[in-house]
Amino acid sequence: MSLTIEMLFPEIANLHGDNANIDYLAQCRPDARIVRTGLTDRPAFVDGPVDLLYLGPLTERGQLLAIQHLRPHVDRLVELIDGGTPALFTHNALEVLGTRIRNDEMGYDEAGLGVLELESTLSMLGRYSGKVMGVVPEAGTEHPLVGYKSQFSMVTASDSMPGFLTAERGIGRNTHTAVEGVRRGGLLGTSLIGPVLVNNPHFTRALLAKLDPQTEPTLAHESLALAAYDQRLADFRDERRWHPVETVRR
Amino acid sequence: MRTLLTIWAAKLAALALRLTGRAGTHVPGRIARRLHPGIIGAVRHPARVVAVTGTNGKTTVSNLLAEALEAEGLRVASNRIGSNLAAGVAMTLIDALTWTGRSRADVAIIEMDERSARLILPGLKPDVLVCTNLTRDSIKRNAHPAYIAWLVSSAVAPSTHLVLNADDLIAASIGGDDNHRTFFAVDRQPGDGTTPSGAAVDVAICPVCDHPLSWDYWRFNHIGKAFCPNCGFRAPEAAYRAREVDAAAGQLTLDLAGDERRAHLINDNIVNVYNEIAVAAVLDQLAVPRDRIVAAFERIAPPTTRFASEQVGRTTIVRQLTKGLVGVACSRAFQYVAAFPGRKSVVLNIDEVSERTSNVENTAWTYDADYDYLASDEIEQIVVGGVRRYDQALRLAIAGVDPERIVTVVDEISAAEAVEVDGMAAVANLHSVHNAVITGTPVQNRLRDRLGGSAS
Repeated sequence: MSLTIEMLFPEIANLHGDNANIDYLAQCRPDARIVRTGLTDRPAFVDGPVDLLYLGPLTERGQLLAIQHLRPHVDRLVELIDGGTPALFTHNALEVLGTRIRNDEMGYDEAGLGVLELESTLSMLGRYSGKVMGVVPEAGTEHPLVGYKSQFSMVTASDSMPGFLTAERGIGRNTHTAVEGVRRGGLLGTSLIGPVLVNNPHFTRALLAKLDPQTEPTLAHESLALAAYDQRLADFRDERRWHPVETVRR
Repeated sequence: MRTLLTIWAAKLAALALRLTGRAGTHVPGRIARRLHPGIIGAVRHPARVVAVTGTNGKTTVSNLLAEALEAEGLRVASNRIGSNLAAGVAMTLIDALTWTGRSRADVAIIEMDERSARLILPGLKPDVLVCTNLTRDSIKRNAHPAYIAWLVSSAVAPSTHLVLNADDLIAASIGGDDNHRTFFAVDRQPGDGTTPSGAAVDVAICPVCDHPLSWDYWRFNHIGKAFCPNCGFRAPEAAYRAREVDAAAGQLTLDLAGDERRAHLINDNIVNVYNEIAVAAVLDQLAVPRDRIVAAFERIAPPTTRFASEQVGRTTIVRQLTKGLVGVACSRAFQYVAAFPGRKSVVLNIDEVSERTSNVENTAWTYDADYDYLASDEIEQIVVGGVRRYDQALRLAIAGVDPERIVTVVDEISAAEAVEVDGMAAVANLHSVHNAVITGTPVQNRLRDRLGGSAS
């Protein structure tokens, strides 16, 4: 089957190189149709099926714009996610789906789409940067997922809400939990950048298999992707490269 | 009295450093700020204070302004040889004072790290703040340009006159309703387009109605002249414009608020064309006579640029420094290398030195850089060295570089051995500012040796 991947608002959701997640998927599946939905366009997912929905990192104003432009379609979004349609929301795109985004320094406290029971609090003078490593079921214990956080926001949600991963090293949704990101239905939400799909070829292979179970997944530039992953994983496993701020405060 | 004691302590610390053969403004400035956190605002300032910030060009613009004003016979306080952080700015102001706290300078030209705006601007309250541009910088430190614009805006006084780049809608947005603004721009150039491309375009929608913007001209990243076909929004009109840039003749036209003057082109790199018109705009606002503004560009020159080329036999060795962890800076470096005519090979050593062994570099920034420039058919081989060589190689492959043309080596310097030099019109030596000495220079020397030149 041919894949349809919808990138939401790539003209504003394009920070931190994260759109390479989709560039890489497109190279893994050259037959995929990439739909780039602009902010003032009607999203493709509203009127028909898509195989993957993607939203990437945004500016603070961009988050609010994304909420504003997705709000009319929130019921359809929930229907798709809960129906199992794969969706990948990276970095602060995840926060758009929450109930509230609070930013005292910039002077706003806005409601999110309310798809997920989570809240975000931004600290514009306290950006957090660090590494995260944790096992995801798609790639198994031999191939933990490796990624990075570089963000103003911390997310709070109930620990009963399934995470994208549980951090073996590094922090999770905030500095007090190892539970990172969110899973709900087909949604994978994670604060991690890297880009995750480029840096984690085993996970990407599993995602490709999930998107199209009938087609043997093929990784673009597989040998280089695996070599880069192996080197990064070895470095992530080097104790000397971890710092106190990259630790969950119990 | 606290201010005076702080001035004395900082001056004594600077004196002690000089006696031990060390220079610098950071340590004395830190002492001053520790003793008096508000010292930047507490000391007497020169009669005119000009601050210069921005992602690129702030050092060049500051230095050119200081030189031009000194040539006008003014006593200039500047942090040319000091830090552009709060401590350096504090010490620059203190250095310009007598021991009794009186100002010895007529004007201060302060280069300001844009990330430090909140620590500097509330006390400094410059008469003029120049913002050269705001483009993507370190993901970890600077996040995104709109964040930096907010930082600066939240700290600038309403009385400050802003001199802003009209071709950069993010930099042009700085300030509040009460700030007086003067804009500069560079008119459409032969190489400009009308459709943005590349990995890091930070202005794509209308700030008024959210519809896609169109461009009278688009240059790079979000730099160009935009308008909204939906609501009629337009980029601000610039009173100061550079045009008719003639690199061969080394001249350009400076339009100084409607008064056109032919002037010496200080450097043909587009970033320096912006710097030149920014300097002209500030000098004009400071009431320097226009004839002397034009004459100043005959004398002043930008600091050493980040590239150099040398001819060894039939091959040009192109040495290009980039700013590690900053995709936009690398894009310009890649563009520069790709523009050299003929068959080329490249040595690419751009790992972040500080994270080689004590961290694991977040290479997300490489996807903010336009590696596509290196996918040119004329670039026959790229040798990547360093810890993150496989990440770099994968980035190159995703950008369209044939993996057969990519070679990886562990040791950065040995990349100079592995790279093909025979028959190449140009061999590029790309490295970061931070590994310039430990990697860039040995690679350059080895390339020169291999091509039969004499090592320097």
